Amino acid sequence: MSGEKKISRREFLKVTGLAGGAIVASSALAACGATPTPTVEATKPAEVKPTTAPAVIGKPFAGKTLRMHAITGANYDELYKLIPAWEEKTGAKVEFVFKGNGFETDKRLVQDFSAGTVDYDVCWDHSSFFSQYVKLDGLEPLENYWSEDELKDFIPRLVDATRRDGHLWVIPRHFDISCLHYRTDLGITKPPETWDEFKQMAIDITKNNPGVFGTQFAGKEEAISGRFYEILTAEGGNLFNDKWEPTFNESPGVKVATMLAELYAAGAMPPDMTNFLWEDVAKQWVSGTIGMYTEWYGWYSYFQDPASSKVAGKFDLARQPMGNGKIHSGWAGHHGFSITKASKEKDMAADLIKWLTSPEGNELEAKLGFLVSRQSVWDKLIAEAATATDPLAKKRLELALLQAQEDFKTPPLIAEWLPMSNILYPILQKIILGDVDPQKGLDDAAQRVYDMMKQAGYYA
Amino acid sequence: MAAKISPFKSYRRTVRTSRLAQNIILWAIVLFWFLPVFWIILTSVRIRNEIDAMPPVWIPSGFSFDSYKIIFGMPTPEGAFGLGGSIPVINYARNSLVIAFYSATFAIAIGTMAGFAFSRFAFRGKNNLFLGFMLVRAIPGIALSLPLFVLFARLGLSDTIAGMVITYIALNVPFTTWLMDGFFRSIPEELEDAACIDGCSQWSAFVCVVLPLTLPGIAATTIFAFLTCWNEFALASVITRTPASRTFPPALFEFTGQFVSDWRGMTAMSVLMLIPAVIFVALVQRQLMEGLTSGAIKG
Amino acid sequence: MTTQPITTSKQLGFSLSEKQLPLLLLLPGILIMVFVIGFPMLYSLYLSFTNFSLTSPTHQFIGLQNYAKLLFHDSLFWAALGRTVLFMTLAVNVELLVGLAIAQLMANAARGQGFLRTIMMMPMMFAPILVGFQFKWFFNAQIGLVNNILYTITGQPHFIPWLIQKPLGFITILLAEIWMGTPFMAIILEAGILSLPAEPFEAAEVDGASGWQKFQMLTLPMLMPFIYTAMAIRSLDLARAYDVVSIMTGGGPANRTELIWTYVNRLAFGEHQFAAGAAMSYLTVILSFAFTWYLFRNLLQARWGGGRG
Repeated sequence: MSGEKKISRREFLKVTGLAGGAIVASSALAACGATPTPTVEATKPAEVKPTTAPAVIGKPFAGKTLRMHAITGANYDELYKLIPAWEEKTGAKVEFVFKGNGFETDKRLVQDFSAGTVDYDVCWDHSSFFSQYVKLDGLEPLENYWSEDELKDFIPRLVDATRRDGHLWVIPRHFDISCLHYRTDLGITKPPETWDEFKQMAIDITKNNPGVFGTQFAGKEEAISGRFYEILTAEGGNLFNDKWEPTFNESPGVKVATMLAELYAAGAMPPDMTNFLWEDVAKQWVSGTIGMYTEWYGWYSYFQDPASSKVAGKFDLARQPMGNGKIHSGWAGHHGFSITKASKEKDMAADLIKWLTSPEGNELEAKLGFLVSRQSVWDKLIAEAATATDPLAKKRLELALLQAQEDFKTPPLIAEWLPMSNILYPILQKIILGDVDPQKGLDDAAQRVYDMMKQAGYYA
Repeated sequence: MAAKISPFKSYRRTVRTSRLAQNIILWAIVLFWFLPVFWIILTSVRIRNEIDAMPPVWIPSGFSFDSYKIIFGMPTPEGAFGLGGSIPVINYARNSLVIAFYSATFAIAIGTMAGFAFSRFAFRGKNNLFLGFMLVRAIPGIALSLPLFVLFARLGLSDTIAGMVITYIALNVPFTTWLMDGFFRSIPEELEDAACIDGCSQWSAFVCVVLPLTLPGIAATTIFAFLTCWNEFALASVITRTPASRTFPPALFEFTGQFVSDWRGMTAMSVLMLIPAVIFVALVQRQLMEGLTSGAIKG
Repeated sequence: MTTQPITTSKQLGFSLSEKQLPLLLLLPGILIMVFVIGFPMLYSLYLSFTNFSLTSPTHQFIGLQNYAKLLFHDSLFWAALGRTVLFMTLAVNVELLVGLAIAQLMANAARGQGFLRTIMMMPMMFAPILVGFQFKWFFNAQIGLVNNILYTITGQPHFIPWLIQKPLGFITILLAEIWMGTPFMAIILEAGILSLPAEPFEAAEVDGASGWQKFQMLTLPMLMPFIYTAMAIRSLDLARAYDVVSIMTGGGPANRTELIWTYVNRLAFGEHQFAAGAAMSYLTVILSFAFTWYLFRNLLQARWGGGRG
């Protein structure tokens, strides 16, 4: 009996030992096999359809899959309707690895580039965000895939906005800039020319029109930080000085923060605006409860659609007010596409991007109200608008072009813009809601931003 | 005689009225609790304009299944603003079901083994080990998400159903162990000993005698394990990336933008996610109560 | 307990002593938890001693700086911690009281128990992020259910910003969690009540005790183990609360509803200070551990203290 036990125990231990060893060995192998630098399989076994038997002659990318990490929401998905035609033309298939709003998309891109888990070829990109990806060495320089000729048609300021370190990183799809939208049926005779006028008018509108708020802002995330930035520059202030030290807590910054706080305290803004993002402010506007506010051009078709908008035909557009700095505000950026460095199908990726940013793609987006990136399409649009039934159409396009040429300002093109805006926005919210005094709040924010910049190595 | 009867009658009446009152209160509370669920289900079949109407429209003038059609990518009379492209609902459903099924099954199997070990044996470090199991439950998905993401990426488990199953098993084992330990302790050892005397080996005593008695307990455990996997978000959103392995919760989150413009989409998704859970629970709830009342959770 | 070795069936072909079988049974559970939880947490611990950031290609070891900064220079951390503890305490207690009431009423109910139970469990069946969206919608200032009800009742539109104002924001996330968590308590407590022996109650009735007296003198004391257990589990779940709050308010606005885990999320992923986030995770997890250890030590006494061999 005992002898039996002894042998059995030994056998048992042997078996477990072998099993354990096998597990450890295989996971070690697997860990070694996956190299720390990004590895990519352009095709994933589970999802790729087997190559259709005889590849049709003339289809350059037949049987391949292109993977895309894209933005969705609002009107962004309209452009993707062009994809089936590209698939037809090239024989490839496009697979969306991820679709989310701008902030979510950016968060995941940063994670992927940082951890080396990039398994897609084309990704959404934006002038405010791309610097982070460049810093993490996640993007492929594009000047090798686009000739000067191909780039000629894009508005130069847009293309230049994503040139850095001697390379081009993003191909622009459409740009955003905001103009002042104001109601014509609430007694506003002329739009405010300065931010001081703006503030007073907002308070007056609220007083004279029960149920209507004078103005609104999208009150969280990069949205409020960006708006703060744009009014700050109009007032002659700056986020940073030449040495990258934060200066937004100086008097122009305090003036802007105080204006926001006073507007809120006077009830001139919806009380839940600190929860608003871009869709929310648009929704507020079309429900007719806002007097005037700064908004991106891209929403125009939605605003003028009587089926969904109560203010269709009841508003006008104007250039943003200016401040003490005698500059009109103009926070701007553009959406576009980039190719990932980890991609194994860069040519195919470039081909898709060219398709999506072609004049056709631009025109599709322009119909929805987006401000597209190609000059030729602009010329066409302005010509058409001259004869349009919508009286606002032509004015809108000319205003947009004017702003693009004169007021277009991107936030600092550094990887730290996003984290900085995430430090700033809760504090701006505190100021708006009256939890903290503007100077103190901004000083606190400046200190935190300083610490972050220091950690990032800006102060040698 | 008469004097003796009337106090008894009035006592019975008091008991009856108090019972009635209790029932009324109970139904009131439960229905009140259910109100949000009801409102969600109702909204998912309402006409779009009535949902945001001001002043609010309480009695729906008609019903429409547009919100479901939109989710399934079927054509609707109004294009839904913002919901471009079709949503691979079938993939998400398949992934959620498969992952929940396998994770729950394995978690219960492992939990049963571990629960058996804790309940029937004494060994050194038992208390500490049990405590260790419980401590795992104190760690939220968000704390794990990035390191786990990196680990899985290195091992090639990112965006795989296997990776998700492994993760969820680990997440569920503490709770299943704890529950099964309780269930086993509620079954007297004498039963096993009796079976052994009758000639069964310990192992078959376990399988033939103990296990069947704990079936209600296993049912109860299954509900909780299944629900955890079905509803988990933080880790799923990090590990899954494409419809190859994506489950419902992160898929839902992808449409955050739309939900702000169209709350109907959110309610429809809620209902869709709720249906399998309700079916499952309704089927198993009797066993659930049996299992829980067997004294397992006395602690 | 018998002293003979456990003989596994002939099919398995080997026998093990009492010492080894339990460990063998526990091995799969231990292995998988070490793999999925242990390694990542160790990695996270390592990172918390560095200045790792998601947008930085390299990182250096900086020792305890992250911890020091959090403990001594970050008032937001302490505010969030305090708020989380308050949140947990309030939620558990309210859930207990309401759950107990519901449990007793359900145990007494003559009919429809199964139906009531299924309905009662529905809040539990929703994914927490769904509950977050739902309550965010209910409490929406413009079109939310709550404000609509107020409008209909009072005839005046009230755009109360539930998710924004100082006490209201906290109250709404509390309500959402309580709505979601009470069914769990109710179910467990009802099971407890149903499993109590009948004799003491019958005896009490003969003695003329009223329903309330029975509840107070009999049910409550006998139910204590269940109550304790349910509270323990629920507290842990609440300490981990993230999904609901993150969707409803994101910890904002202006940090008004900031709980520990929403702060960790913003610090780690929003401000790209992943190492600081890891440090905060660890501090919180250690606190949770201490809490769990305290709770479960008492539980284990009750379970096994009575001495199995």
